[in-house]
Amino acid sequence: MNNGLTVIHHQDDNTQLCVLNLLYKVGSKDENPNKTGFAHLFEHLMFGGSINIPEFDTPLQFAGGENNAFTSNDITNYYLSVPASNIETGYWLESDRMLSLDFSQKSLDVQKGVVIEEFKERYLNQPYGDLWLHILPLAYHKHPYNWPTIGKEISHIENANLEDVKDFFKNFYAPNNAVLVVAGNISLDKTKELCDKWFGEIPAQNIQKPVYEIEPKQEEPRRKTIESDVPANLILKAYHMGGRLDKNYYAMDLLSDIIGSGKASTLYDVLVKEKSLFSEIDAYISGDAEPGLFMIEGKLLPQVSLEDAENAIREVISDLMKSGISEIELKKVQNKTETNIRFGDVNILNRAMKLAYAEYLGDIELVNKEIDLYLEIDIEYMKEEISKTLQESNCSTIIYKASNNDNK
Amino acid sequence: MTINRKIIPQTESIKNLKFERFRSEQTIGGAPIFFHSGGTEPVIKLDLVFKAGYIEQNKTGISSFTASMLSEGTHNKSGKEILNALDFYGSYFQVKSGEDDTLATLYCLEKHLSNCLPLFIEAITESNFPEKALNTLKRNAIQKLKVNQKKNSYICRREFAKYTFGEDHPYGKSNSAENIESILRDELVEFHKNYILNNLKYAILSGNFSHETLSQISSQLNFKESEKSVESKRETTPIIQPGKYFIEKNDSVQAAIRIGKHGLNRNHRDFAAFQLLNLIFGGYFGSRLMKNIREEKGLTYGIYSSHEINKLGSTWYIETEINSKSKNIGIEEIYKEMSILRETKISNEEINIARNYLLGSILKSLDNTLSLSNRMKLNLDYNLEDNYLSNFIEKINNIDSDILLLTAQKYFTEEGLVEMVVGKN
Repeated sequence: MNNGLTVIHHQDDNTQLCVLNLLYKVGSKDENPNKTGFAHLFEHLMFGGSINIPEFDTPLQFAGGENNAFTSNDITNYYLSVPASNIETGYWLESDRMLSLDFSQKSLDVQKGVVIEEFKERYLNQPYGDLWLHILPLAYHKHPYNWPTIGKEISHIENANLEDVKDFFKNFYAPNNAVLVVAGNISLDKTKELCDKWFGEIPAQNIQKPVYEIEPKQEEPRRKTIESDVPANLILKAYHMGGRLDKNYYAMDLLSDIIGSGKASTLYDVLVKEKSLFSEIDAYISGDAEPGLFMIEGKLLPQVSLEDAENAIREVISDLMKSGISEIELKKVQNKTETNIRFGDVNILNRAMKLAYAEYLGDIELVNKEIDLYLEIDIEYMKEEISKTLQESNCSTIIYKASNNDNK
Repeated sequence: MTINRKIIPQTESIKNLKFERFRSEQTIGGAPIFFHSGGTEPVIKLDLVFKAGYIEQNKTGISSFTASMLSEGTHNKSGKEILNALDFYGSYFQVKSGEDDTLATLYCLEKHLSNCLPLFIEAITESNFPEKALNTLKRNAIQKLKVNQKKNSYICRREFAKYTFGEDHPYGKSNSAENIESILRDELVEFHKNYILNNLKYAILSGNFSHETLSQISSQLNFKESEKSVESKRETTPIIQPGKYFIEKNDSVQAAIRIGKHGLNRNHRDFAAFQLLNLIFGGYFGSRLMKNIREEKGLTYGIYSSHEINKLGSTWYIETEINSKSKNIGIEEIYKEMSILRETKISNEEINIARNYLLGSILKSLDNTLSLSNRMKLNLDYNLEDNYLSNFIEKINNIDSDILLLTAQKYFTEEGLVEMVVGKN
């Protein structure tokens, strides 16, 4: 649109619903390192009433709709779904809070309270909850992925004031910093008409994205040991890997499934079943747009020494480096990925989110190419990338020591 | 042209929903298969529902261990071989046991079905329950239980269930490391024989598939049908012990709270009104509890009231985690909100919002063929009439503030509540 808003229309007449997915190109990586947790706090504020509408949820519920949002390191994403005949309510709500929020001290104070409780509930009040608070600063020394979306510490959220909040809005919440996907039982003409009517008059802003450094290549192993009252010892190993548009990303995503997802996976097979060292062990990726992390995380069985357990993980890795992945293993995980993507695409909201995210990454065709990108990875490439990525010198390790029980 | 943004756009209310019918035929073993094909993605979901839930077991864990062991190997193939073979075709299956049944689900692309279906069936029918795998599972379950027992929310949920149904009731029984330790292979083999092999209630097939695919499935599902008339033989009378209970955990920053009692079944005449009232009270983001305790007071990340419906009894409860210092204010507010519902009529506006939200979410649950199958399962499990949903919607559309006031006075009372709090004193 003229004001810079990117709109994507995706029509599906099989559904009785219509969805709006509005992605703002701002995530925790765009925060000031001394004011972290802001993008996520802001996501909460977006439900506290906008300039003309005192409350977001109520009118949407009145239209039979539902909504939610999430914040990641890279983006803040808002989505809603309503019976198709009531979609205009969605436009009205989303456009008003893009136009301007109703900034009030009360709403800020309440949402600060809520976010602080969320911080406690997810990160402090359960065993291992603070794992991300430890691993990220260890793995990232320069890049702003070094704090979690919830923020570095509670005080950053406590100190947020109305002025900060207004600046943040002005700088990031504008049509020229957003992608809108309209999907479901709606025609292109209707989409155009409603976009013009509700978003057309919102002015573009001068967006200033903070400049940050890319993460320099890690040259040697990093470690940190934490003692805490947890039920079992834990090892977490995090390796730097490629970003979402990098071929390495697809290889590492597949690898995490091969070695660490489910009972047929390599790590479970060797370390849980065969050697009885861990009670559970997983591998997963952080899934970021820019270069992210490949993680291996396992909880030790009692009486197993941390040293033996970590050596056993290393052994699995060095075997992988030597022998790579077999043709069959790779084909298998590729088939599985295809199944997952196709099942996911049954859901209209999921398709809308994927369209918005692909556009954010700069390649909307990604939604159609995604399956092929996974299928194109071959065993030679896989082996090269394993050797490059799973080096100890590229790894940050967190050791969680159970402080007061028999799990020595 | 400038538009007036103060005015809410016109909306339509939902009077009827398109709930596409499932058709059915008989599988070779006798049990019915219900099917519905739709959408564009070539995916398949096959659900097998066995009468093998917690209510059938002699001992806590038998049903869920049996379910877990179904992926551990058969007389001819190791668990790894089966999983790898299915994995190879990008397929997987899950077996989940719950209060009332065990559900085995196969997910695959239609093009791979002929390779996957026989493996899925073999895993379920010919399991050989290897001792080593059982020991691994037991050990890991104990570890997991230990982690859970450190969580206030877990302790709160288990203790609440104990006081709501009684320690001997399948819904109220708790688990312990000793109990898990005591589970024997023979007990699982026995349970498998009696409740899985001879107890298929029905199958549901959803996704986008051809008639040939359906025939292929029907002709391979050779499970004996469960006998409908045979009722569960376990102790089924719930014993509720109302009262206020507190479990001290002094190292916690948040207190877990659960307050509730028994609820209604789906065919109860007050069910629709109860559902709508519960929604207004604490069932969605716009509820009174959420507005008061999260949005206005900022005491919690979330607070909900839920109506959990099972075969042998439903539970209605409020649950939340509140920062330790404010837990008493939170509890007081919960009772206060309950009493307001008994004393003051709800405005039409508030009713309409909740009503439309409820109907919209039902519409969403009917959105694609995979989610339709979940709805179908409800219909079958609770013997609901074909027109149950349309009747329910009609009832919801006719509820007014008088009905809700009476419903609150009848059910949302403090009498007979179990209040469980786990946290710092």
